[in-house]
Amino acid sequence: MSFCRLSLMVGLFLLGATVYRVGSSSADEWMPISPEELKMTSEAAAPGAPAIILYRQVDRDDSNAHVPHEYNYVRVKIFTEEGRKNADVEIPFVKGDYSIVNIRARTVRQDGSSMVYDGKVYEKEIVKARGFKYLAKTFTLSDVQPGSIIEYHYMIDFAENKVFDSNWMLSSDLFTKSAKFTLKPYGQFPLQWSWPNGLPEGTKPPADETRAAGHNIRMEAQNIPAFLVEDDMPPEAAMKFRVDFNYSEGSLETDPDKFWRKQGKKWNEYVESFLNKKKAMEQAVGETVAAGDSPEGKLQKIYARAQKIRNISFEVEKTEQEQKRAQEKGAGNVEDVWKRGYGYGDDITLLFLGMARAAGLEASAARISTRDDHFFSKSLMKARDLRTYVVLVKLNGKDLYFDPGTAFAPYGLLPWSETLSPGLKLDRDGGTWITTSLPQSGDSQVERKADLKLTQEGSLEGKLKVTYSGLEAMYRRLDERNEDEAQRKKSLEDDVRYMIPASIEVELANKPDWSSSDPLLVAEFDLKVPGWASGAGRRALMAVGIFGAEEKHMCEHTTRVHPMYFHYSSEKVDNLTIELPLGWQVTSVPKPENSDAKVMLYTMKVENNNGTLHVERRMKSDLITLEQKFYPALRKFYEVVRTSDEQQIVLQPASTAASN
Amino acid sequence: MNSKSFCSPRRQRQAIKTGHRCAWTAVLLALWVVGVPRAARAGEAPQWMRALVSVPLPAHDEKTDAVLLYSEDILSVQGNGKIKRTERRVYKILRPDGRKYGKVFANFDSETKINSIHGWCIPAQGKDYEVKDKDALETALFGVEDGELMTDLKTRVLTIPAADPGNLIGYEIEQQVRPYVMQDVWTFQREGTPVREAHYTLQLPEGWEYKAVWLNFSKVEPSAAGSNQWQWVVKDVEGIRPEYDMPPREGVAGQMVVSLIPQGGSQNKGFENWTDMGRWEDGLGQGRREASAEIKQKVVELTAGRAGQLEKMRALAQFVQRDIRYVAIQLGIGGWQPHPAPEIFTHKYGDCKDKATILSTMLKEIGVTSYYVSVNTERGTVTPATPATRWFNHEILAIRLPDGMEDASLVAVLAHPKLGRLLIFDPTDDMTSLGQLRGALQANYALLVTPEGGELLELPKLPAQLNGVQRTAKLSLNPTGTLSGDVREVRVGDRAAAQRSALRSVTKDADRIKSVESMLANSLSTYSLTKASVTNLNQMDQPFIFNYSLVAQNYAKTAGNLLLVRPRVIGNKASGLLETKEPRKYPVEFEGPSRDTDTFEITLPQGYEVDDLPPPIHAEYSFASYESKTETSGNVLRYTRTFEVKETSVPLSKVEDLKKLYRIIASDERNTAVLKPAVH
Repeated sequence: MSFCRLSLMVGLFLLGATVYRVGSSSADEWMPISPEELKMTSEAAAPGAPAIILYRQVDRDDSNAHVPHEYNYVRVKIFTEEGRKNADVEIPFVKGDYSIVNIRARTVRQDGSSMVYDGKVYEKEIVKARGFKYLAKTFTLSDVQPGSIIEYHYMIDFAENKVFDSNWMLSSDLFTKSAKFTLKPYGQFPLQWSWPNGLPEGTKPPADETRAAGHNIRMEAQNIPAFLVEDDMPPEAAMKFRVDFNYSEGSLETDPDKFWRKQGKKWNEYVESFLNKKKAMEQAVGETVAAGDSPEGKLQKIYARAQKIRNISFEVEKTEQEQKRAQEKGAGNVEDVWKRGYGYGDDITLLFLGMARAAGLEASAARISTRDDHFFSKSLMKARDLRTYVVLVKLNGKDLYFDPGTAFAPYGLLPWSETLSPGLKLDRDGGTWITTSLPQSGDSQVERKADLKLTQEGSLEGKLKVTYSGLEAMYRRLDERNEDEAQRKKSLEDDVRYMIPASIEVELANKPDWSSSDPLLVAEFDLKVPGWASGAGRRALMAVGIFGAEEKHMCEHTTRVHPMYFHYSSEKVDNLTIELPLGWQVTSVPKPENSDAKVMLYTMKVENNNGTLHVERRMKSDLITLEQKFYPALRKFYEVVRTSDEQQIVLQPASTAASN
Repeated sequence: MNSKSFCSPRRQRQAIKTGHRCAWTAVLLALWVVGVPRAARAGEAPQWMRALVSVPLPAHDEKTDAVLLYSEDILSVQGNGKIKRTERRVYKILRPDGRKYGKVFANFDSETKINSIHGWCIPAQGKDYEVKDKDALETALFGVEDGELMTDLKTRVLTIPAADPGNLIGYEIEQQVRPYVMQDVWTFQREGTPVREAHYTLQLPEGWEYKAVWLNFSKVEPSAAGSNQWQWVVKDVEGIRPEYDMPPREGVAGQMVVSLIPQGGSQNKGFENWTDMGRWEDGLGQGRREASAEIKQKVVELTAGRAGQLEKMRALAQFVQRDIRYVAIQLGIGGWQPHPAPEIFTHKYGDCKDKATILSTMLKEIGVTSYYVSVNTERGTVTPATPATRWFNHEILAIRLPDGMEDASLVAVLAHPKLGRLLIFDPTDDMTSLGQLRGALQANYALLVTPEGGELLELPKLPAQLNGVQRTAKLSLNPTGTLSGDVREVRVGDRAAAQRSALRSVTKDADRIKSVESMLANSLSTYSLTKASVTNLNQMDQPFIFNYSLVAQNYAKTAGNLLLVRPRVIGNKASGLLETKEPRKYPVEFEGPSRDTDTFEITLPQGYEVDDLPPPIHAEYSFASYESKTETSGNVLRYTRTFEVKETSVPLSKVEDLKKLYRIIASDERNTAVLKPAVH
C-alpha cells in the first residue's frame, strides 16, 4: 500500500474544504428543518449577517484504504439579497486524486415547500497541464430568496490506496450555528491531531472514541463566528479555527522534546556534512579577511563576501528549459557553493557559517520558524514549521543572528519574518531552543531631510533627501532587485508621493546604491508641493505635517475584531528647513508635541529662526502585536499624530505685513 | 456600483461566422500566397522571426517595456465552413517588466479551437528556445463571486523561456474558428507597445466580398496578394499609454473591422450595418419571450391592486430586479442568446439577457411592448463611427411608454421617431429604479433591437441634479476647538447606489458605519460618531439618507490667540488625476453628470469673532462648474459649495481646464477662516 502526502494535493484539498462549508447527515435524505429555522430572519449571535450556516457536517472515513471517502452536508439560511450569492456553489477537486459524487441540493422556501435541484452540475476545468487537472463541480440553486434555506450534500471519493492529511476548517466567512465532524482514521499509520489556533468558545476538543471497528474522532461546535479580514492583522492561518490531522510514516512520537531532539539531530547531521570542507573554508577565509582584522571585522568581511555569491533564490524564476540549459546543480557542500559562485539562500547562509567557523568564530546553525504565515508551536511537532537556517554567532559576549542567504539583508539584521521567531540552535545532541532577536525601531529608519523654499504662490520647492536604513532599505532593494533604473526611480518617487498628503511634483536626482546590502539607501529628490500654504484672507497658513500622509488613515475605524500585527519596528525622522519669501513674517508656530506611549512615540517641534522655519518630526513604532482591547489607545495615539500634523504655521505675506 | 450588471467578457470578443464551403485548392493557394513559414530546425526560431534580429526599433521612450517588431494575422476562409486563423507576433523585450510578453494567452471556446501554439526566444546570446503545445497549460475562470457560474471560455497559456531584456520572443498560434458571425477585428495598435510593422491578410473563397471600416487610424488601402486575397500593412504605430479615466480601448486604438460577405448573401454573413446586427439579435430572442402559465399568474399577482399601468410596470420591474438573481451560465450560443422566459422564471436566476427577457415577457402580459437594447457598460466603446460589430457586453430594455403616460419619475426617456417614447431601463441594475439610468449607460451608444432590425442610438443623458450628494451640517465649535453637531446626507442616483451597495456587502451590523468613518477620515484628524441612522436603504425609488452626529476634537487649531477653522468640514472633490509628469493624451471620462452640494453652518464659540475669511470661488467651464462661499451671519460661519459635472467626458483640448479646476477646488478645500478674540 502506498502512502501519499503530496503537499500540492493536500493544499488543494484544504482549499476546497475552506471554500465549501460542509454539513451533516448520512445517506441522501434531508435532515428535518424546524419551524424556527424556517421563520428565522436574523441570528442574534451574528447581527447583520447576510446568511449563516445553520448546520454543517463532515464525516471522513480513511479506515478502508480501498474506499476512503468524506461525506459533506451544508445547510445555509439566507437572510438578505446579498446572502443569496451562497446559492452559487463550486467544489474544487484534483482529477485522479479524488472525485466529487452524489451531489444533491435543494431550496426550501420560507413556507416549508422545497425545490430539489434537478439542474446540471457543471464540471469546470480550472487548470490543466501535463497530466494534472484541477476541476470544480459547479451548480446554482433555484428560486433562492431572503428567508430561503439552501442545503446540499455530496461525497468526496478519494483515490484508492491514498491517504491524505486533512483538517476540519471551522472558521468560515459565514457564522456557523452548529457543526459536527467525525474522522475514522486509517489504522496503519499513526495519526496526530491538533488545533493550533484554539477552538471556538464552548467547544470541547475532539474526542477519540475507540470502538471495536477502530478509532472514531468526533467533535461538535456551536456558534462559530464568521471570519473577518481586517487591515494589519496577524496571518489568517494563525487566526482561523481548525483541527489538523497528520499521519506519520514512522512511529508516532508524542513527547515534543524527544521529537525535536530527533529532528534537530537530523538537521545537525545535514549541516555538519554540508560544512565538512574545512580546508576549502580556511582558504576562502584567507582570501577574504586580513590576519589583523578584529573578530567583528572578520565577521563583517565574511558576511559581505557571502552575500556576493549569486543568490539563485532571489533571481527571476527560470523556466524548465532555462534551468536545464544553465546546468546549475544543487550544492552538495560549502565548497561547491564557494567554487561555483552561486547557490540557494540556505546554501549561502551555511557557507557563511562555514567561513565564520574557519575564521575561529563561535558560530552555530539554527533552524527557525518564520512568522509570515502562521505562528510556531513546539507542541504541534511539525518539522516543516522550522523552515529556514540562520547563523548564530557569539561575539563579544552577545548572540548575533545572521541570514546572508536573504538578498540585501544588512549585516546583523534578519528579514522581519525571521525575527522574534523560535527555533533550534543545532548541535549533535539535537539542539537548544532559541528565539531570534527583534531589531529596535532605530535600526530601520526613514530619515527625511528637506531644504525647501516657500514661494509667493504658497508652493514649497526644494531638495529632499530620504535615507532608508536597516529593513527599510532592505525591502526596497528586494522589491526592486529585478527591475531597471527607470522602474526603481519611479518606485522611489511614488514612495515620496505616498508620504505627502497632496499632489506633488517629484524627480529623483541621484543614483541610489541598489546593488549592495549597505545599511543605508539614499535617495535625493527635487520636490515641489504646489499650493501647500492655504489662504486665510490676509494671512497664509501652512500645515506642519508635510510627511503625514501615511498616518492619515491609521486606525480610522472605531471597532476592531482581531489583534493588530505589524511586521517590524521602524522610525521616521523628519527634518525640514523652510525659507520664507522675502518680507514674509511668521505670526505664530504650533506648540511642540510630545506623545510618548512607550512602544509608540511622536514628537513635533517647529522653530522660527528669522524667517526660516525649522520643523522636526519623529514617529517611532516598536509595536509588533497589539491585543484588540488596546486598539482604542492606539487609535487615540494616531489621532494625536494627525491633529499635530494638521497644526498650522501662521504667516503674514509681505504685502499685508507691510500694511500692518 | 456593483459590477453584477456586467455580462460575460465573451461579449467583448470578436467572432467570425462560418461561411460557404470552398475548394481545398483555395486553401492551399492561400497558404502558398501567404507563405508557409520555412521549416526551421528543431528548437530554432522560424525564419520570419529570425529576420527581425537586427531591424531598427520603432520610436519608443525609456518607459517602454517592449516593442512589437512584427505582427501578422492571416485569416483564411475555407469552403468547408471553417476559418483558419494564424497569429504571429515578435517582441523585443526592452525592460524587466517586458517579461510579461513571454506569457502568451490564447483564448478559446466553443467557436474556436486551437490547432497549435508555438513560442520561441532568440536570446541576445546563446541558442534559441522553443516551446510547443505540450508545454502550455489551460485555465478557466475560477470562482463564482460575480455570479459568472459557468462559461466555456478558456485560455491556453504558454510561457516562453528567457523573456529577458535584450531578447526577442515570438509566437505563432493557429486556430480553427467557427464563428456565429462572419466578422473580424484587426487591432494593430497596442497598449504600451509601439508597433514596427503589422500585417493583416485576408483570403476569401471565390465570389466572397468583404467590407472594411477603419477606426482611430487613417485608412490604409490593401494590396492584392493573389486571387481573392488582400493584405494590409501598417508601420510605426505608437503604443497606447494607459491613463486613468481614459476612454476604453475600442475608442482609441487603431483597428480595422472586417465583415465578410459570402457569395449570394447568406444568413451567416458579417454585419453590413446595424440593421443586420439587430436582425441577428432579434432572431436569437425569437420564441424566448413566451409567457408560461406560471408567469401569467405571477404577473396577475404582482399587478393586482396596482392602480394604472405605470404602477404595474414598477411592480414587474422591481420583481425582476430583486427576485431574479444574477447568475450567468454561458455556454456556446448561450453567451449571446437568452434562456426562455419560463426557464428563467422557474429558476429565478439569469444573466442580463435573461433579466431583460423575463421583464419584457411580463410587460407584454400587461400590454406594454419592450425591445432589447445592447450596450457596452464602458461608454465610448461604441460610437457613431463604429461599424456594426459585437462590442456590446450588456443587455437592457427599451420600454415603449403607453400613450399619455406622463410622470416626473420617468426621465431616462428618448423620443423615437417611429416607436414613440422609449424608457430605457436596466433590470440587472437593482439599485436604479424604473425611470432612471445609471451614469455609465447615459449618453452611451446602444443598439435598439426590433423585429425590423437594429438601430444605433444615443441613450439619454440625465440632468445632473438626479445624481449627487446634498450634505448639510449644523455644527458648533467650542473655544478649545472641538466641533460637534449633526450631518445629513441625501444621496440620489449613482451616489445613492454606491452607498447602498457598500452597505449591502457589509456582513455585520457593527460595520455599517465604516463607510462613513472612512469618508470622515479623509477630512478629519479625529472624530467620533455619537449617532447614526440610515433612511431608505432598500427603497430604491427614494433618496438614500444618512443622518449622523459627530464630535471632532481639535478641529479648530489654535495659533496664538487665534482659532483657525476650515469651513469645508467634510468631503473631497479635488483630484490629483491630472497631476502627472507626462502631458495627457486622451480625454477624461466621467461616470456621468452629477451635482453635489455642501452647506455647513458652524456656530462660533462665544468670545470669538471672524478676523479673516477665505475668498469666494466661482469657476465655470463647459464640462463642470464649482462655486463656494464662506460668510458669517451673526455668530454663524456658513460655508456653501456646489460642484456640478455637466458632461460625461472632457475632450483633450479642455483637459488643462479640468486640471485648473481641480487645483482651484483643492485650494478651496484647504482654505481657512481665522477667528480672533472678540473686542468688547
